[in-house]
Amino acid sequence: MTRVAFAIVLHELQERSRDRWVLVVTGLFTLLATGISAYGVATEDYSAIVTGPSLVTMATFLVPLVALVLGHEAIVGERERHTLGLLLSLPVHRSEVLLAKYTGRLLALGLSLALGLGLSCLFLGPGQRQVVLGLISPTLLLGAAFLSVGVWISTACTRTATAACIALATWFLLVFIYDLALLASLVATDGALSQDTITWAVSLNPAGLYRMTLMAELIGVSSLQELGLTVALPGTIKSVAIWVGWVTIPLAAGSYQLSREGSGR
Amino acid sequence: MKITTDSLVVEYGKLRALDCVSLPIHSGEVTVLTGPNGAGKSTLLGVLLGLIAPTQGEVRVDERLIAAQGHFAPVWFRRQIGFLPEAVAFSENMTGRQVLSFFARARAVSKSRVEYVLGWLGLENAASRRVGTYSRGMRQRLGLGVAVLTEPDVLIMDEPTGGLDQQGLSLLWEVFAEWTHAGRTVIISSHELSLIERRASKIHIFTAGELRASGTPTQLRVQSGLPMEMRVGPGLDEVYEAILREKR
Repeated sequence: MTRVAFAIVLHELQERSRDRWVLVVTGLFTLLATGISAYGVATEDYSAIVTGPSLVTMATFLVPLVALVLGHEAIVGERERHTLGLLLSLPVHRSEVLLAKYTGRLLALGLSLALGLGLSCLFLGPGQRQVVLGLISPTLLLGAAFLSVGVWISTACTRTATAACIALATWFLLVFIYDLALLASLVATDGALSQDTITWAVSLNPAGLYRMTLMAELIGVSSLQELGLTVALPGTIKSVAIWVGWVTIPLAAGSYQLSREGSGR
Repeated sequence: MKITTDSLVVEYGKLRALDCVSLPIHSGEVTVLTGPNGAGKSTLLGVLLGLIAPTQGEVRVDERLIAAQGHFAPVWFRRQIGFLPEAVAFSENMTGRQVLSFFARARAVSKSRVEYVLGWLGLENAASRRVGTYSRGMRQRLGLGVAVLTEPDVLIMDEPTGGLDQQGLSLLWEVFAEWTHAGRTVIISSHELSLIERRASKIHIFTAGELRASGTPTQLRVQSGLPMEMRVGPGLDEVYEAILREKR
């Protein structure tokens, strides 16, 4: 990493630590995670099947929103403040500027998640504590995927308000509408869609893959089947490929877009 | 250092933002690009800054090619440039000192230079305040500080006088004098010719992407054929500065 890129990473981290939105979301995430942990402890015998899965459900909704909002103004914000030209005129390649901005914001997201999940562990016994701490990495991966999409949106837009609207629509589409659309297609086809097709469709969405993988890990596939939920997880290679794709493809698209900016016709 | 643009063309779709612009820019001079909105001034600055790639033509620095069709100015040239964008705002959450420190870290400038520049800008008392609380003029002064932080060989400024009070303008004139005295290059785009003209070495007038006239302020006056007017006495800005000096 070049000196300029490193400086941008540090600057992003510093800037986010003073960002009211990041502070509010970190507080909210910590509050909800701590509340869920406290409730899990109160249920005593059911703690194992309440705490982890409830945190996963909460993170599936909240983390994509936080990541998209964190990423949506990375580039367009600089453009509106007239500082993008200043950044791009520094002796650094444009793709490095984008990557450094992404890395700085990902570090800020990681710190927020670690703080939220870490504090929620205060109520838990050693066994459950390990489970919750084990959620930090996959949850950060979920955030990394949506942050990448957010940064791409930011590169493509010329106004922060437009980027914010697209980011919110993306969150709504991938976190709410996507599952409903799958359900609707199952009903519409009268169950003709195969289990494999549904599994693939769910796992192509990072929010679905995150929830499906962690639920199966925390509760066990057999327990889910007892609840009437048939889970056929994609293999490790397929899962890795999906995660890598969600993190790298939007970033690559954003980087290409930024490299073309100002190239005339 | 001599910067030369040769038959420079920049097109955005059907819009020709620069149309066959050829001009020399010499070191030790303050070169002013002026003209109405959309005349192509900022586009030319963008080409020099490596933000815009020419559609046709080329830019050379001491005969060395730095920008040509589809190619942005390279990193080695951008190392020698300081830039003040138009109406720069910076992140509202950061303090003035943090903004300058970021650019200092990115360009390997010492902390003591950051403190010196903050003092020179007259922002030492506001350095720990968020930029969001700064007036427009203070932000512009901070932008000036970012531009001169590395004491670059080439200083490029887009509408540098915008929002500056008399104290800010004095700093700007100081920079012009220091840079030209040291044989460095200053290139600015400006609408406010009345403010700039006495500091300008060369003025290039653009309209609709074309270079219409070039020369020193005196040469342009003669070219225009307008009747000459003689002014007796100092300008009001000089009177203002003299009053401030007396008060100190």
